Amino acid sequence: MKHYRLPATPDTVHWGYFSKTLEPKLTIKSGDRVTIETITHHANDDYERMIVGDTAAEEIFRWTADEKTVRRRGAGPDKGSFQHGAGEGLGVHLLTGPIEIEGAEPGDVLEVRILDAYPRPSASPEYKGRFFGSNPSANWGFQYNDLIEEPKPREVVTIYELDMTEPASLSALYSYLWTPQTDPDGVVHPTIDYPGVRVDHSTITKKEGILSGVKVPARLHFGTMGLAPAEADFVSTIPPNYTGGNMDDWRIGKGARMYYPVAVPGGLFSAGDAHASQGDSELSGTAVEISLTGEFEFILHKKADLPGTILEGLDHPLFENDQVWSVYGFSVANYLTELGPNHQYEILKRSSLDNAMRDAFRKLRRFLMTVHKLSEDEAISLMSVAADFSVTQVVDANWGVTGSMRKCVFVRP
Amino acid sequence: MISGLAFSSSQVQYGTGEAPYAGADTVPATTAEERMNIRQFVSESYPQNTRLGAWQDLLADLHLRSISHAQEQEADTFATASVRGDPQGVVLGRLTAGSQVLSPILQRCRLPIGLVPIDEDMEIHIGNEILRVAPGTLAVMPMNLQWEIPLERSVHIVAVTISESTLQGRRAGWLPVSTPRQYPSTGLAAIFIKSLVAAASEMERLSVVEWQSLEQVIADLFQTMVVEADDGDATPTPSVAALFNRVTLTIERHLHDPELTANRIARLEGISERYLQKLFEQNGESFSHYLRERRLQRARTALVAPGDIRTAVADVAYNCGFGDAANFNRLFKERFGLPPGAFRNRHADKLAESASAEQRGWPVKALAHKKHQQRVAVNDAASADINAPSRQSNPATHHHLAVGAANVHWGYFSRSLKPVLEIRSGDMVEVETLTQHASDDPALMIQGDAAAEDVFFWSKDRKAVDRRGAGPIDASIFGRGAGEGFGVHICTGPIYIKDAEPGDVIEVRINDIVPRPSRSPGYEGRSFGSNVAAWWGYHFSELIQEPKPRENVTIYEIFADGDQGYAEALYSYRWSPQVDPFGIVHKTYDYPGVPVDKSSVEICDTVLSGIRIPLRPHFGVIALAPREADMIDSVPPAYFGGNLDNWRLGKGAGVYLPVSVPGGLLSIGDPHAAQGDGELAGTAIECSMTGRFTIILHKKDGRFADLTYPLIETPTEWILTGFSHPNYLAEFGAKGQGEVYAKSSVDLAMKDAFRKARRFLMGTHGLSEDEAISVMSAAVDFGVTQVVDGNWGVHAIIRKSLFNA
Repeated sequence: MKHYRLPATPDTVHWGYFSKTLEPKLTIKSGDRVTIETITHHANDDYERMIVGDTAAEEIFRWTADEKTVRRRGAGPDKGSFQHGAGEGLGVHLLTGPIEIEGAEPGDVLEVRILDAYPRPSASPEYKGRFFGSNPSANWGFQYNDLIEEPKPREVVTIYELDMTEPASLSALYSYLWTPQTDPDGVVHPTIDYPGVRVDHSTITKKEGILSGVKVPARLHFGTMGLAPAEADFVSTIPPNYTGGNMDDWRIGKGARMYYPVAVPGGLFSAGDAHASQGDSELSGTAVEISLTGEFEFILHKKADLPGTILEGLDHPLFENDQVWSVYGFSVANYLTELGPNHQYEILKRSSLDNAMRDAFRKLRRFLMTVHKLSEDEAISLMSVAADFSVTQVVDANWGVTGSMRKCVFVRP
Repeated sequence: MISGLAFSSSQVQYGTGEAPYAGADTVPATTAEERMNIRQFVSESYPQNTRLGAWQDLLADLHLRSISHAQEQEADTFATASVRGDPQGVVLGRLTAGSQVLSPILQRCRLPIGLVPIDEDMEIHIGNEILRVAPGTLAVMPMNLQWEIPLERSVHIVAVTISESTLQGRRAGWLPVSTPRQYPSTGLAAIFIKSLVAAASEMERLSVVEWQSLEQVIADLFQTMVVEADDGDATPTPSVAALFNRVTLTIERHLHDPELTANRIARLEGISERYLQKLFEQNGESFSHYLRERRLQRARTALVAPGDIRTAVADVAYNCGFGDAANFNRLFKERFGLPPGAFRNRHADKLAESASAEQRGWPVKALAHKKHQQRVAVNDAASADINAPSRQSNPATHHHLAVGAANVHWGYFSRSLKPVLEIRSGDMVEVETLTQHASDDPALMIQGDAAAEDVFFWSKDRKAVDRRGAGPIDASIFGRGAGEGFGVHICTGPIYIKDAEPGDVIEVRINDIVPRPSRSPGYEGRSFGSNVAAWWGYHFSELIQEPKPRENVTIYEIFADGDQGYAEALYSYRWSPQVDPFGIVHKTYDYPGVPVDKSSVEICDTVLSGIRIPLRPHFGVIALAPREADMIDSVPPAYFGGNLDNWRLGKGAGVYLPVSVPGGLLSIGDPHAAQGDGELAGTAIECSMTGRFTIILHKKDGRFADLTYPLIETPTEWILTGFSHPNYLAEFGAKGQGEVYAKSSVDLAMKDAFRKARRFLMGTHGLSEDEAISVMSAAVDFGVTQVVDGNWGVHAIIRKSLFNA
């Protein structure tokens, strides 16, 4: 077993897309551990607190009239004239990786264990050592077309501070209404339509004293982890899919084990989109977005070894911790294959919890029948009396319902 | 299937597929544009104090305003509305308005407004005159005249306004209507009205292009109907088309007359018979053929119309102008391939099939017919079902409410039930409840238990609790049994809470809950429950193993052991047709309490071996009587509580319910030993339980002023209950009891849970909307409560610890 460190640098990140064409930044063997740094793509919502003094963050986010360190942001076109910028923001998450797992082949399953997760301290002289995150209520949030207070519609960014004193918790510092932001290339962003645009704090009005008396318990986790899909060269990070990605389940933190079907040789694992806390549904479009570093362990399960294990027949992400197994139902189980060549846009029209619930039911039934050798009738009775279905997220285009089964139900050795 | 329909209803969600970061010129451009001209109002969104303003804003789009009466509004504040269209074109609105008075914003618009009441009569007061508008007919009202529409309860109205420019584009010289008009639903008006109603219900699903073409149709029809008819009044020579149209209307009106001739019609219209025949020839018809066809069509409709289903075939023939029944039979068979009697029977079979297989509760189509019969049913509820005399208020604070045939009502809630116990705020009550699934294994769950034997008693001569469900007592729809199983839960109660009045809130706190031990010889002291994977389960439409479809019953034993209690499956069996003691065969699990004959089913002994289900004892049903109809199906939960099926409603938890009728009328039942979030198969582990409750009345005060839905409290959490249709009884009106089953969706329930959570955080915790939304995203958990109770549920869990700082 080896232990590697993969820092976040302009060379080790890719922004807004998964791609099987990316060169691995690190190659490991099954059983190895890696410390991975991730930086939140919302750091520029408060440059002073989340970027200043942090060399790596400063470099990654560097964008002047002459230079943009990470040019492509999203799976959209990166040549020609842009509406929003290179990559068109079709995918937003700043991911560290990819990591190649030696010997991983399509049909295998990669297990990723999160051994630990901790926040990246501010390096700014003024806020040194403190932890900050951002929660925008964005145009893709569930509330956006259903607001009751004026002005409508609107986007609002709330900046939180994370206090790691046990029990770790979050408090809001201030909020501001999004105002049109002009990026260094002169493109105006009237809404949050492209990631990493620095918010000019002279154009906004900070509202202090908000959410006073409210403390949100921390749930440190990684919103986006997954493998490169096989179907296309550049795939947006927004809709979660069969190789994982933007799952946005707050349980994917310390103690979690995720299983992903391998779609391309080497697997190509990337992680990012870290969250300090999130509720089931991620209602406003984002969690409290924060930069985290995680300790990960990788175990490759070869295709031939899967029968007879909980991974038998697995063709979607599976979650496990000490208490439960969870499957993830999506509005469209594999939108890359199901929705044709225009899938990146089609999926935006398919968002539905009803379809996600259907998918979660089917996946959990299969899991119980295949892995636990139950008859269909047994599986259905068990699901009715002991499985819990919850709303994972209603903001990532491919909406999600989580179906969970407690392990304590199975007392047979 | 319920779920299949839910799929399509998820499409109702417009604008939710907003494209994060995507090129705005591709997908989102259309959705954004579509959003531009749809406005919606849901009172659940708004704290009480801002509700009226938002409501007026939306009404103003239709040039209407609400003259509100504060006190009345308080009692019945539910309203929803969707409005689509541009002020320069056609604006169409669908309103569900609680008690208030609607009136025009004077002179805002030169053109009249069209109003169609959907379920019930609507009155329009103009000075001292009252215009009565029947459901499904159209009133066209001028906007330069003061008039008022008083609404007493939730009323459904479709409203349309058309801009002057839209009409002038079609024809010059159009003058505004200066007097009110009424149009019955016949001829062109029928088409217009039906188009309006259909457009109103589909408006969210229409693309911009589709909407535009619909606007054209509405404007065209409106012009022909109102404007040309005006011309017709003014000028002596109507166009030939208009004349023909009038002739057909006259024929329609006289279809029932067996003596009707071309000559008579011609005389009525003041034209010669020859000219009349010529008119028909020009349309490629002959008068006699046209008349026969219209009579046959009307007869065909009448044969299967819910209101006429009991009318004898001969009478239908006579009503449609056929003088001779034998002749009618022959003609009908020639035209439609089946004699009229057979035609009607086939239709009834189809209806029964589709309703019993696809949907619980009232079949939508049968409702109109049954509306008047509900009143009969109520009397029956008050007299036949509830024999117990109302008890006097007990000065002691402890009560015991034993279960027995006299103390339960089965499958329905009703504001007309006589209370079986009267208590005061603060009293403690021990309530015994029985599961309606005890009959799945009578030997384990009924035998030897005098109370259960009393409630379930059913011999070929006598059935202790006859009515089971809110359906007709004579089982005239499906013939399943009294009440038709439209509602299934055995509820103990109702309990009258002294001084409770509409607008108050009743808190039901569960101090303890324990399974009811079996008294059956050989099983004394043990407890059992049943889980049915039923036809109304979420899985039913897509089983993968044979035989398909099937219903499966699993009997569990309950080991209640403090906090570590668990359940283990004993055996299971596939449902096979059961004959009840009255001789009715139940092919599916379509009626509650039918004793299962164990010798008739095949037992599977090894089921779920090595699996222990942790207990989550709770009550599925805790309800106050709803205010709307007299007999309410117990299956769909709503604002009054009812079949909440949330396993968090167990020991240590409580629920706050808004009071709708004096005394509240609390009923408790549907006990569960364990259930998962979702209640996927249609039932939990259904197991008789006894609970100890404290009941607290909260008189109208600040704390609960804004509570319009069941609010669950546990020691650590607030749980808000979202539904596909938060007040389906008001929303769907008289049809609601059946319709809610067809229109359930997790997506809609999520919307409702979001709106309620926002309101709770803003109202109870004083947050701004932005603060509330940020907290919801960061810390509020949304879960699927159930997808099997007609009105599906999503709950929002708000941890109390968030606010401890």
